[in-house]
Amino acid sequence: MTVSTTKKAMIIGLDCATPQFIFGPKAFDLPNMRRLAERGCWGKLESSHPPITVPAWASMTASKDAGELGIYGFRNRKDYSYDGMFTANGNAIREKRLWDILSRAGKKVAILGVPQTYPVRPVNGWLISGFLAPDTNADYTYPKAFKKEFEEAIGEYIIDVKDFRTDDKDGLLERVYALMENRFAAARFLLETRPWDFFMMVEMGLDRLHHGFWRFCDPEHPLFEPGNPYEHVFRDYYQAVDRHIGALLEYADEDTLLMVVSDHGARAMHGGVRVNQWLLNEGLLSVTDDLSEEKRFEDCAVDWSRTRAWSSGGYYARVFFNVEGREPEGIIPQSEYEPFCEEMVARIESMTDPEGRPLGNKAYRPKDLYRTVRGVAPDLIVYFGDLGWRSVGAVGGTDSIYTFENDTGPDDANHDYHGIFIMADAGTNGGGLERTGLHLMDVAPTVLDRMGVPIPADMQGRVIGAKE
Amino acid sequence: MQNGITVTLSGPGLAETMRALLTRLIELGARAERMDSEITARLGEGAGFACRLLARNGVIVVADAAAVTPEGDRLDVEIDPNDTPDFAAEKILDQLAEEGLIDLELNDYDPQEEEQVRKRLADLGYIE
Repeated sequence: MTVSTTKKAMIIGLDCATPQFIFGPKAFDLPNMRRLAERGCWGKLESSHPPITVPAWASMTASKDAGELGIYGFRNRKDYSYDGMFTANGNAIREKRLWDILSRAGKKVAILGVPQTYPVRPVNGWLISGFLAPDTNADYTYPKAFKKEFEEAIGEYIIDVKDFRTDDKDGLLERVYALMENRFAAARFLLETRPWDFFMMVEMGLDRLHHGFWRFCDPEHPLFEPGNPYEHVFRDYYQAVDRHIGALLEYADEDTLLMVVSDHGARAMHGGVRVNQWLLNEGLLSVTDDLSEEKRFEDCAVDWSRTRAWSSGGYYARVFFNVEGREPEGIIPQSEYEPFCEEMVARIESMTDPEGRPLGNKAYRPKDLYRTVRGVAPDLIVYFGDLGWRSVGAVGGTDSIYTFENDTGPDDANHDYHGIFIMADAGTNGGGLERTGLHLMDVAPTVLDRMGVPIPADMQGRVIGAKE
Repeated sequence: MQNGITVTLSGPGLAETMRALLTRLIELGARAERMDSEITARLGEGAGFACRLLARNGVIVVADAAAVTPEGDRLDVEIDPNDTPDFAAEKILDQLAEEGLIDLELNDYDPQEEEQVRKRLADLGYIE
């Protein structure tokens, strides 16, 4: 439903911005976001499946679910071989995203730091890619020649936080702040110097902050210690982000649709489930290695003739089945695929925590999550502890399936199902209403609707009205 | 063999758009040829027929509409004065892809870049 047509739109994306810190009783004092919400509308924004940066931002900007995009995480199987994987950078997204559609409608776009925009594709305007660019030696801007002017204006573009896995929290905090300052300086430069109709940026620092500092800030985290020196870093960082948002709003006029959004939320991580070790214990996976010491699963020699399932770790698990006629040495007959899948869902969902309580795992089949399943999807997408536990791929060292040490270094948070949505509609008083039932795929059609650009019929989201 | 076509360009920024389009077509692995006034002067009256021959053999011919009237399949493009040459070329690539004449697969990371990004993603906890 069209409420009003705006001339311009500005989306400020905050990767991993978490509803409880912005809207709820634990909300920090964030005057700029609060004013925006009071002027318009706000609510939780349901993320993609899986709720991970890739595919979430692409799902938001193309209004397609991960199945339709054929992207199930950062690393995806390129075929049914055991080792054929690809990194889902911008090339992996074939669907037109908001800036592609608006560019083709003659709108000038300025895009900054949105994941999966490297390698860069031409737009009608300017694009500075996000953290899937290898480094700043790469051609990470469009136009290519814009890079020189851009770097002269803001200095070195910080693609991401370096040395993230560290116990040097002071150093990490400094680098996360540097990322934020750099990203917002770049935003101001674009807004000041480029004639834009559509501006979109993504600030990655909140995600890095949550993963690096959750245990210090959340009293519900098992390792929280009251009075620790980092207890208020979330509050301080969110407030700094809010001040930057206030500065960006100065570049918007009354004909500008404003949105502050995030791709997913975050929550305390209680531990990790060693998913491949569990598969070993259950007799579903076989390796020929000496497992007296812990090993990365990728470094193991798998006996495929005795393996029915294996998994990749991360904030969620992707479980793959070794299917006859599909995988090179598959052993599960096609006719047994469905019953095996059902059995696996039941076994995974009945797992317990170290105290024998139900973990609350969720195991999903792609066909139950997505409208279409493209590419080579995992056979199961698993959220351990309903995302309270991470998936750890390593095997050996112990038979235990639980770990409280991340095998890649300190990490205190996992992702959560809901991000944030704040929208102030140009010229319309939304009454500061809380909206429910919002999905990140609603963002793109809403922007197109307000800007008077036809919405492609295959977009899956719906237009968010200002009031209803 | 996949068919080609002749793309005839007209409008502002023609030379720059032609260059950008040819560059991108070659990056994408397509066989492409330029048909501007310099080439048509050498081909004379046969330039239009040459377009047909090339296209029939799977070549995408990028032609200056003022310099040649191509025979055979053609896509006429009036360049939008608001578009940069690169973006004008991107829009033409969209049309060619829709016609099934090219695949928009881009060059990916080289192995060193792939490893660099994989390590970063592992460091960030997204993958293991």
